[in-house]
Amino acid sequence: MAGQSAAIIESKDAYFSYSGDGEPSPALSGINFSVKRGEYVALIGPNGSGKTTLLKLFNALLIPSNGEVLVKGISTTEEDKLPEVRRSCGMIFQNPDNQLVATTVEEDLAFGLENLALPVSVIRKRVKATAALLGLEMLLKQPPHLLSGGEKQRVAIAGVLAMEPDCILMDEPTAMLDPAGRHSVLNTVHALNRNRGIAVIHVTHFPEEAALAGRVLALNEGRVVADGAAKKVLTDLDLLHKIGLQGTTAGELAALLRLGGCPLPSHILNNRELVDNICTLAQNN
Amino acid sequence: MYIGTEQLTHTYMPGTPFATKALQDITFSLQQGCFALIIGPSGSGKSTLIQHLNGLLKPTAGRVFFAGQSIGSDKQALLGLRKKIGLVFQMPEEQFFAETVYDEIAFAPRNQGLTENEVEERVNNAFEKTGLQSASLLKRHPFQLSAGQKRLVAIAAVLSLNPEVLILDEPTVALDLDSRDHLFNLLAQLNQEEGLTIIISTHHLDHVAALADTALVLKQGQLMLAGSLDEVFSRRKALYEMGLSLPAVTEIMHSLAERGLPVSTCVYTMQKAKQEILAAKKRG
Ligand SMILES: Nc1ncnc2c1ncn2[C@@H]1O[C@H](COP(=O)(O)OP(=O)(O)OP(=O)(O)O)[C@@H](O)[C@H]1O
Ligand SMILES: Nc1ncnc2c1ncn2[C@@H]1O[C@H](COP(=O)(O)OP(=O)(O)O)[C@@H](O)[C@H]1O
Ligand SMILES: [Mg+2]
Ligand SMILES: [Mg+2]
Repeated sequence: MAGQSAAIIESKDAYFSYSGDGEPSPALSGINFSVKRGEYVALIGPNGSGKTTLLKLFNALLIPSNGEVLVKGISTTEEDKLPEVRRSCGMIFQNPDNQLVATTVEEDLAFGLENLALPVSVIRKRVKATAALLGLEMLLKQPPHLLSGGEKQRVAIAGVLAMEPDCILMDEPTAMLDPAGRHSVLNTVHALNRNRGIAVIHVTHFPEEAALAGRVLALNEGRVVADGAAKKVLTDLDLLHKIGLQGTTAGELAALLRLGGCPLPSHILNNRELVDNICTLAQNN
Repeated sequence: MYIGTEQLTHTYMPGTPFATKALQDITFSLQQGCFALIIGPSGSGKSTLIQHLNGLLKPTAGRVFFAGQSIGSDKQALLGLRKKIGLVFQMPEEQFFAETVYDEIAFAPRNQGLTENEVEERVNNAFEKTGLQSASLLKRHPFQLSAGQKRLVAIAAVLSLNPEVLILDEPTVALDLDSRDHLFNLLAQLNQEEGLTIIISTHHLDHVAALADTALVLKQGQLMLAGSLDEVFSRRKALYEMGLSLPAVTEIMHSLAERGLPVSTCVYTMQKAKQEILAAKKRG
């Protein structure tokens, strides 16, 4: 089961309704997909499309009303295995202020481990190693509320990482951060994915962030409407526009320029690709 | 000289070991009907400044003025002020207290003593303006919403006040790009057609840069740059050094200019970028 291609998360025809009165349709309807070890999946979709609800199903904070969600082969309905499910799929939320609980960074990193009832020596070792990995050594004695937003998010990620998860679930982790904080968080998570093979599911409204993922999954009205390589899903501007989303700035501008008669390729996703292609065209003129 | 501050200083928890100087000697003034951006790294004092503009904090030193008057501690004057200045907090949850979305949006007009019919009209109007679709949302508890829906409800709850100045602290957090564009178009309309003064703090300058005319840049509690948008955005290097960035489309124009393409870099919209690039290609 632990092979390279083993699924960490499987969603089998999962439905979810917030049993509210007068609600026309469930928040999620018939979600089928799986995430493999080491994959980086960006989860996109308009406001209210079900992204947060789906992450909560993967973390067993919610249980599907129909269908099934499996984490490393364990159904999220198996209550005695919930600690293992939550350990292997840690969650990072949008607001860095709401997820740090302790009075110092060090205690915060140890918090989850203490709940696993690990020996003190193991806890110390893991806290040290995780802090080193994320460049937080200098901050260990600091109270979390004095850190910048980007630092707080990195501490939250470190807290999840110390649990040695197989997958990190992130719900708009950079939404509240300034550009510098955003960079540091994105670099951190991509490095963990690349170097440690930790799978990532990353909910974002920024096409530029989704473009960095290997795979992009788009939700609309509780259903999966696209699932494929970032290059494929994010350059399908017709589809994105139809569900109220947009491509990257570079991709959208390339499409406008094509309409204006510039023969630019249709796979352009980032600024560098756009600038290179425009300069090549200008030279050939 | 419509709204602004004079040598405003704010220290949180003064006289304790935790004292933090969040604003230092800030002086600026904005004209009625302007559309201003407040930019700065996190912790630079944006939210603190915004709360002063609504009379929610008391200056440690200096003063805040609105429509020719100091925002003092006179309670009556403050109440009048809050009817004219609408503030949407950085965390929408922080302003929710009603049991339903409807009551949340109805709170301000009810406080103004309107009839229930007038209140209903204000609520529906404000709700529709934000682009929220399903009317069934009005019956829900404000906490039973997705992140983006909460943000839009918080904005509707302030629009229903019919304010003269609208201040929004990082309003695009959690919005999808279409909702963001919808919000900005609404703000542009309120600004241009109804003459509202708009003040926004944000890290995300895409699209909003095309609507704003003025920018204030804060860093560590100090006002580093202030002026027209073109003036402030032309200081690209200074902005980088503060850890800030330009709108994505402006970045692209800078990169093209650096590679020798004869394009303007004061570009904040896709349409203008397209014109510039096509023209440069013809010339080049
Ligand atoms: N606690 C709740 N009670 C009732 N309905 C809810 C609750 N939370 C979310 N919903 C509804 O479920 C649907 C999906 O919400 P969800 O939070 O998963 O969306 P999302 O894709 O994360 O949106 P956003 O981009 O705005 O965060 C929406 O229609 C929302 O209004
Ligand atoms: N309620 C508070 N109590 C103490 N310090 C605060 C409080 N709010 C903000 N600060 C501090 O004031 C400074 C400016 O914060 P803030 O105005 O929130 O900045 P921004 O909105 O630009 O991120 C920061 O150093 C912050 O830690
Ligand atoms: Mg959400
Ligand atoms: Mg703030």
